[in-house]
Amino acid sequence: MHFSLALKLLWRDWRAGELTLLLTSLIIAVGTVTTITLFVDRLQQALLKESATFLAADRVITGSDPISNDILARADELGLQQALTLSFMSMVFSDDRAQFASVKAVDDNYPLRGRLIVSDAPFVRGAPVEFGPQKGEVWLESRLLPSLGVGKGDILDIGVASFPVGNVLVKEPDRGSGFNSAGPRVLMNMADVPATEVVQPGSRLTYRYLFAGDVAALDELEAWAKPRLGVEARMFGVKEGAAGIGDALDRAERFLLLGGLLGVILAGVAIALAAQRYSSRHYDHVAILKTLGATPNGIDTTFIVMFLVLGTLATIVGSCIGFIVQMGAVQILEPLIPIELPNPGLRPVGLGLVTGFICLLSFALPPLLKLRAIVPVRVIRRDLGKAGVADRMTYSFAIVGMIGLMWWYSKDLHLTLLIFTGGVAAALVMSVVAYGLLRSGRILGMQAGSAWRLALAGMQRRGQENTMQILIFGLAIMLLLILYLVRTALVEEWRAQVPQNAPNHFAINISPEDVDPMAQLFQDNGVASQPLYPMIRGRIVSVNGQLSTERDKKWHSESGGDGPRASSGRNLTWAANLPDDNRIIAGKWWSENYEGPALVSLEKDLAQSNGFKVGDALIFSIQGRELPAVVASVRTVAWDNMRPNFYIMFSPGALDDFPSTYMTSFFLEKKEKLFLNTLLSQYPTMTVIEVDAMIEQIQTIISQVTLAIELVLVLILISGGLVLLASVQASMDERFKQHAILRTLGAGQRLILGSLAIEFCALGFFAGVLATFGSEITVYGLETGIFQLDYEVNPELWVLGPAVGTVLIGVVGTLATLKVVRTPPTTVLRGLS
Amino acid sequence: MKGIDLEIKKSESVAIVGASGSGKTTLLSLLAGLDVPTRGDIFLGKHELTALDEEQRARVRGQMVGFVFQTFQLLSSLTAIENVMLPSELKGDPRAQEKASEVLRRVGLEHRFNHYPNQLSGGEQQRVAIARAFASTVEVLFADEPTGNLDTATGAHVIDLIFELNEEFGTTLVLVTHDSRLADRCTRSVQIDSGELKKEEVASV
Repeated sequence: MHFSLALKLLWRDWRAGELTLLLTSLIIAVGTVTTITLFVDRLQQALLKESATFLAADRVITGSDPISNDILARADELGLQQALTLSFMSMVFSDDRAQFASVKAVDDNYPLRGRLIVSDAPFVRGAPVEFGPQKGEVWLESRLLPSLGVGKGDILDIGVASFPVGNVLVKEPDRGSGFNSAGPRVLMNMADVPATEVVQPGSRLTYRYLFAGDVAALDELEAWAKPRLGVEARMFGVKEGAAGIGDALDRAERFLLLGGLLGVILAGVAIALAAQRYSSRHYDHVAILKTLGATPNGIDTTFIVMFLVLGTLATIVGSCIGFIVQMGAVQILEPLIPIELPNPGLRPVGLGLVTGFICLLSFALPPLLKLRAIVPVRVIRRDLGKAGVADRMTYSFAIVGMIGLMWWYSKDLHLTLLIFTGGVAAALVMSVVAYGLLRSGRILGMQAGSAWRLALAGMQRRGQENTMQILIFGLAIMLLLILYLVRTALVEEWRAQVPQNAPNHFAINISPEDVDPMAQLFQDNGVASQPLYPMIRGRIVSVNGQLSTERDKKWHSESGGDGPRASSGRNLTWAANLPDDNRIIAGKWWSENYEGPALVSLEKDLAQSNGFKVGDALIFSIQGRELPAVVASVRTVAWDNMRPNFYIMFSPGALDDFPSTYMTSFFLEKKEKLFLNTLLSQYPTMTVIEVDAMIEQIQTIISQVTLAIELVLVLILISGGLVLLASVQASMDERFKQHAILRTLGAGQRLILGSLAIEFCALGFFAGVLATFGSEITVYGLETGIFQLDYEVNPELWVLGPAVGTVLIGVVGTLATLKVVRTPPTTVLRGLS
Repeated sequence: MKGIDLEIKKSESVAIVGASGSGKTTLLSLLAGLDVPTRGDIFLGKHELTALDEEQRARVRGQMVGFVFQTFQLLSSLTAIENVMLPSELKGDPRAQEKASEVLRRVGLEHRFNHYPNQLSGGEQQRVAIARAFASTVEVLFADEPTGNLDTATGAHVIDLIFELNEEFGTTLVLVTHDSRLADRCTRSVQIDSGELKKEEVASV
């Protein structure tokens, strides 16, 4: 038996309509997986590319000296694009005024990623251009024009050379990458630098070598170049280069992978259900074949051939559908996604194909192979010979397939095992609880009316099948809830990271006598500013009599050198009150009018990575003098809130003997930037660090990432719905028969629909309760383990989960079985008897 | 079905006989309102079945009709007594349980009240089905090969039960069978062949 017989049987099955459901779910499952894979892959690529504009390149080498030409030659060999920028601080002069500016010289290739935006007049939106300034001209940032009293075409002196102002610089892509870009920007051509003669031995320079191109080539260059770089030089990509963005991208990537993963699981479950149904409908069929002399091996061959044919067909059609759906989705979404999606490569299509086949192999084949174990006597006694022997194989196939796929998708064994064990544990608990719920439902139902009794009796009678079904419903809902919860947590975390109106400028080096008038100036101009904090450089020299350098050796050689070191120089401050978003986790903050020996409060990471405890006696070295202080508390600091933050804070009065400067941060809208000119002209000695461009870029990227993960969530929701439908379908035969009998006996539509609705709603409710429970546990593991977020219990989930389960399953189930009341009962009774 | 013209009077017992595939079961389904013909009219009591929709026909069935099938057609999720109670419950009869236990005892299943169908033998299942048919007072009982799945002795017992109860309740009986002994016990039998009524004969009993 034999290939041709197998094909013949397959054809007959197809003609009889037996294969429609199996083939459809296979196609839809493969299609969903392909769609999600393709979409996630494109989004991921797009996000990375978009974020690369943050560096104006894919990789950057930065340092204060030029790098060796070997590296540039190597990059050439690898076919990478290159550009160079050189930044330094310099005075620039107009006819009658001067201004300290941050000058950046760029070559003709700059920028490799993203675009420069320029305009003719200051403080307008501007338009993108492809290249930087030509030789012989300079471009100025908007607020430099009024402060120097120049306009487009006027002449500006840098060093000993003069240049006309060519354009007003509105935006440069890599403006935000780092805090060192202080001062208003002047952009010039690299070729003009020698003429200015400002670059002398000993000048403080920052070279940035930009590279862009193929990922593999970039990785190769990085591996090759890193050991050849000088001590000062650093090479990085967008993830390491831009704190905040790297983090967000990393998490988004994990989320997309997780989404893809869950999509695969859901599709697998749908396939398994359809195959199971097909197989159980073929018990009689196989029993008859066996009676007629078919051997178990012959049966295997038949169904394996059938499986291969079906699989190939479904995989090909499914992949095509996936490809088309994904193209369509992108078409529809294009206006919504502010980023350009790269064309899908062949890789994701291959990925979809392979995924489809693995899905089939692990989920569809086992139920089919179970048919081998059917005993021929079933022809006579139908209740005999329900195949159960091959169950162990079924499960191990599915488990191996599932773990393999998850691992392959996430490239993260830890995540895979976490989700898998979470899923298995949830499934075990669920089945026990589900069975218990079903039993109690029956007892309750005995006292209720007819529709209730029918529904609940049916549910309990088919306890095993229903436990299975609750499990599947529950699992599907659980996966959706997990995705929803993680998404919400991620998005909230990102939003909180850069809130609207977060301070976007830092002012440092403020002299003590300027503190009060400056606070007044902020207030008069309606600028929202943070309190002014004194800032003094100092470091810890000893801890409980032990030198801090000794302590570093002990704590940082063991822990691999992570975290802030005890002996490093730090900015110190004092305050009477705990800053708003700091939280004490050990010890106590001092009272507002504390006047005693010096106390300090340490930041959590600093304390933990050096083993500092409340009560430790520290000695600080500040401006060459020693100051003893006792650790009074340990606190957490919200580092990314763009406010002045300190590792070490002293009690009031402790630092009075040391001369200090002050710092603060404040918020300015784009159109208020001219205020900086006022500020700097009144307090010329202080320094302003502008981080507004960086914040803006972070916000853009985060909103894109948020949108991306929401799109994926929708796709997963659709595949979740598919599983529900497949699962309802799988239980349909039994229900059809039951209700046809009821119809025959004269039961009205209302009773039948009522009992169906009650049954599905109850199943949905139980599934929802279990799903909520399971997802809380898994999300706890995910958020603390994988996404490094703070976990909180989600009370709304305990309403949402069961409600979603009840409504969703109730509606889907009832709608799917609506046919029961429309079909004349004879059709069903004759077909199934 | 071709040119069927058949009238069955109240309290008659009529056997529909014929070869396999001759259309016996189809005719029974039509008479009981389980299905509708493409053309023609069917009346059940004063109800014109062919003018009703599926929902209304279900209501008529619930009110007037009982069934016994060759394959029993019990609800596997309900116990014997629950299966028997079902038709009365559908009618909203508050004494459903009482009536059901009475009839179940009558068919000799007093020790099987709380068994599920798959825990009963074929004969027992058919007796439950008969009890179900008579538990709510019906006017017409349709039986489709009621002994088809049973051995001779059990079959005979089941037949006796049907006729006894039929007598007791004064029900009209329409019976599909190819068992001539069974057909002989009916007041008359009609023969069907390729969808046409061939001859009608009044039984000798």
